[in-house]
Amino acid sequence: MSTDVMIYANGLSKRYGSFRALDDVSFEVRRGEVVGFLGPNGAGKSTTMRILTCFIAPTSGTAKVRGQDVFDDTLAVRSSLGYLPQRAPLYLEMTVYEYLRFAAKVRNIDDSLFKQRARNVVEVCGLAQSLSKEIRQLSHGYRQRVGLAQALIHDPPILILDEPTSDLDPNEKAEFLNYLKQIGKDRTVLLSTHNLKEVESACARAIIVSRGRVVADGALDEIRAKSGRVRYIVSVQESIGASAYRGTGAPPKQSDVERALSGLKGVKKVAELPTDDRAHQYAIDGDDGDDIRADIFRMVSDKGWVLLELHRDTQTLEDVFRQLTIGDERRNRQLGPVAETSNASDEDDSDDEDEDDDSDDEETAPIESKRGKR
Amino acid sequence: MNSETIEKDSKKKLLAAGQAAEAAREAGHDEDSEESHESSAEPMTSASHGEKAILHRPSSASMVWTLAQREIQANLNSAITYIVIAASLVVVGLYFFFYKGGFWQVDRASMARMFDSIPFALCFLTVPLFTMRSLADEKRVGTIELLITMPVKDSEVILGKFIGSLAMVALQIALLAAYPIVMFSRAPFWHLGELDWSPFWVGMLGLLLLSMAGTAIGVMWSSFTESQILSYFATMLTLVALYAIGSVSIVEFLQGWPGDAISFVSLQSRFEPFARGLIDSRAVIYFLSLTTLGLVVAFRSLESRKWS
Ligand SMILES: Nc1ncnc2c1ncn2[C@@H]1O[C@H](COP(=O)(O)OP(=O)(O)OP(=O)(O)O)[C@@H](O)[C@H]1O
Ligand SMILES: [Mg+2]
Repeated sequence: MSTDVMIYANGLSKRYGSFRALDDVSFEVRRGEVVGFLGPNGAGKSTTMRILTCFIAPTSGTAKVRGQDVFDDTLAVRSSLGYLPQRAPLYLEMTVYEYLRFAAKVRNIDDSLFKQRARNVVEVCGLAQSLSKEIRQLSHGYRQRVGLAQALIHDPPILILDEPTSDLDPNEKAEFLNYLKQIGKDRTVLLSTHNLKEVESACARAIIVSRGRVVADGALDEIRAKSGRVRYIVSVQESIGASAYRGTGAPPKQSDVERALSGLKGVKKVAELPTDDRAHQYAIDGDDGDDIRADIFRMVSDKGWVLLELHRDTQTLEDVFRQLTIGDERRNRQLGPVAETSNASDEDDSDDEDEDDDSDDEETAPIESKRGKR
Repeated sequence: MNSETIEKDSKKKLLAAGQAAEAAREAGHDEDSEESHESSAEPMTSASHGEKAILHRPSSASMVWTLAQREIQANLNSAITYIVIAASLVVVGLYFFFYKGGFWQVDRASMARMFDSIPFALCFLTVPLFTMRSLADEKRVGTIELLITMPVKDSEVILGKFIGSLAMVALQIALLAAYPIVMFSRAPFWHLGELDWSPFWVGMLGLLLLSMAGTAIGVMWSSFTESQILSYFATMLTLVALYAIGSVSIVEFLQGWPGDAISFVSLQSRFEPFARGLIDSRAVIYFLSLTTLGLVVAFRSLESRKWS
């Protein structure tokens, strides 16, 4: 095991009674990485973090933090961690200052160092106005800031943050993510969140869990590509309309264009998108491997048609997230056993799923990008 | 002061007992390998990997003190504390001065009456009320998660809670003791005789031992539940039962060895010699064992969160 691996989880499982909250979760996080830990509600993010922070023990599997086993060297592990539990449970009767002082004392930080760290942390978390307030008087966002401050006060090499930004306002969110990026260069951060934009702005890498399993782990680009599909949007001019038709010959019929596109190599599926009557617009599903934009352009120009628009759509993180975790989602929206045939009450995706997905493997059920329907 | 050495003793005993228990039931690696670290050198290093990691945590003693301080502050910040203290003062005061003719009936200048009433007040009110929050509330609110993921040993958490609660109980006892102290410091004014102070201090020692046992039991119950109310009633019932079981009538009714056994475990009969100014070493051991037992069970219960 390389010394650079700061968080190491191997085959973590956790059962609550007969319920499997985690099932064979393995991953590594290295120094200098800021990793987003994603998953739908109940996927096991908090459970994993609780194991890594020695709050609960896994039913099986091992986890190491900085090379120290969370089980055998719990004190060493905990002293190198900064942890913010979900919903920042703080002692409400203490003032912010008292709380930070308490956290510092437990970490054996002496007064002068505390003053220095406190100044830094107060600046990052925007707590200067609230230091002497009792925590019970603070709004949720401010409590979360105190939770963050508490996790940062000892300047830990490893940060584990469970939904650290859920209650923050946009300004503080940006400030905090900035800080994370800045300190993330020589530290290790594992943060869970439901906000995928945030992951895209702060993390280079993400781990997605669903129903207690890791379903994706890698650089964001890799994850985006994980769907194995790329979408191309093509518009071809159809009629003269206001501007003159600049193609050779008559404007193409809809069926002609569709046939021609389908004939191209690497095209899996062509679907017409609704447009006005001046153009034909198609969404083309292609393979991940090669870029067929050049082929499309050649074909259209060879036929003498007019190309109005051509672009390649990589999947957004959100698309992939939905695709990877759709099993969870569907389970939640149906009563009784999960049946493929039912007309799901799922407003967003149900129509697409029903036509595309007739396999039992829900985790790999393909989904349409939402753009396709517009 | 006496109490300090006793607290230390009880800590040592607790640790010794903890380790003994471990040695007995240790199979495979258990989380409390941390307990055995405790007896070794203080600047702790994790030897298991050969690489030295400096632990950013204070010594065990100052950690326990930090936690206890926090506990005391939380208590001092809470209105309940003042209500409990005031109520106990009033109740014990009324009992002390007026019940069955009261203090003035007793010819001799004696504090025996005080040691009559305070233990029951402790069992019924003070100890359960000051211990009910300790762990139950942390679990209910979830603060325990933040606390335990700091580099704190479970045993330190328990000891901190114990000492924090005990300090509150001790404060209450001190305030109750202020009655006689104030009175006898002005003995001529009240036309009281000179008080023999040594039985008084022995009695106080007894109260402290009793409180330690009670507090440990209270912390234990608090570690079992998330509800303060439940913790209060469980502690109160346990202590009152342990106390009342030794009342003379029950012991006489049972006679023979059952009676002896009962008076052996009863807080009341164990406390009785102290009230008369005698230090009964068996009673000291009894109270300390009860303390240890309560704390070890609480420790186990706190640990058990991991496996749930
Ligand atoms: N103490 C517990 N007892 C029983 N089941 C539990 C317990 N804690 C968590 N679970 C279950 O374990 C699963 C994972 O929970 P976890 O809190 O890790 O989810 P999460 O990914 O953090 O979700 P969220 O996004 O809602 O925070 C859930 O199904 C939850 O019901
Ligand atoms: Mg969670």
